[in-house]
Amino acid sequence: MSWLVYLAFGTAFGFVLSRSGAADYDVVQEMFLFESFQLYGIMAVTVGVTAPGLSWLKRRGRTATGAVLKVSPKPRHPGNLLGGAIFGIGWSITGMCPGPIFVNVGEGKLYALGALAGALVGAALFSTLYERLVPALRQPALKIGTGDG
Amino acid sequence: MLLLHQLEPWHWAVAGAAIGAITLLLLWVTNQRLGISTGLENLCALAIHPPYLRRGEITGSHRWRLPFLGGLVLGGFLSAETSGGWQPFWDLGVFDAVVGLGPAGKLAWMFAGGLLIGFGTRMAGGCTSGHGIFGIANLERASLESTLCFLATGVLTSALVYGFGALG
Repeated sequence: MSWLVYLAFGTAFGFVLSRSGAADYDVVQEMFLFESFQLYGIMAVTVGVTAPGLSWLKRRGRTATGAVLKVSPKPRHPGNLLGGAIFGIGWSITGMCPGPIFVNVGEGKLYALGALAGALVGAALFSTLYERLVPALRQPALKIGTGDG
Repeated sequence: MLLLHQLEPWHWAVAGAAIGAITLLLLWVTNQRLGISTGLENLCALAIHPPYLRRGEITGSHRWRLPFLGGLVLGGFLSAETSGGWQPFWDLGVFDAVVGLGPAGKLAWMFAGGLLIGFGTRMAGGCTSGHGIFGIANLERASLESTLCFLATGVLTSALVYGFGALG
């Protein structure tokens, strides 16, 4: 698949995130302070649309080009909980989850550059500390080599 | 109202349906599972090469995750450009009203939060998109548990920063 297809999907997703409020500091705070239904409504409708569609696609078993559909579930481990808890603090502090960091940079919100730099350094730290975190967190075993990611 | 040109946000049902449609189309057309935070690792892998970033899941996904992330930036740019014109700005809404830091302070605040986002999402193996949307829609227990955790600590953190009712 051409990289342009992925650029187009990203652009559409970014545009919707921008106009939905998911990439807006105030709307995110209103969600966490229970003062607006907006983002809860979006999450509920998104899952409500995606779940049956996904179930149907999996039963069908083929992509648009006829390839075998692959949906790999994410591994379950204690990092899901601890990492999720750490991420939630960052989401509240910045008013951004990972997608909206990129969207906000595109919108021209200059402070989002700070969030982007922080997220990259945070991911780099996790990447370099990974082997030391594995025993403590029972993270999934490291697989180096071929992959279909 | 959004900080971007004081736009009214789309109705949540419209936005949710659009995000769901994009998620399903991405899978149906390209056979890819929606997920943003793994892309942070793809970006890191351009600069550093620890074993964790040499695994196939990363080296094999540059070709789609990197243009997808570029698209997110482009989508934000187009959203601004088509709604009053793109221009850089520092407005941070309720943060300006309550916390009130200048540009350098905002960058530092955002960098600190970003660190937790980058480290936390990678430890969790996903974020709002990979766990919160795709994982929950695929009825994955790890995703439901992780999502409940990040929503809970988000609520607690905002309560600490603003106190309940501060926006009222």
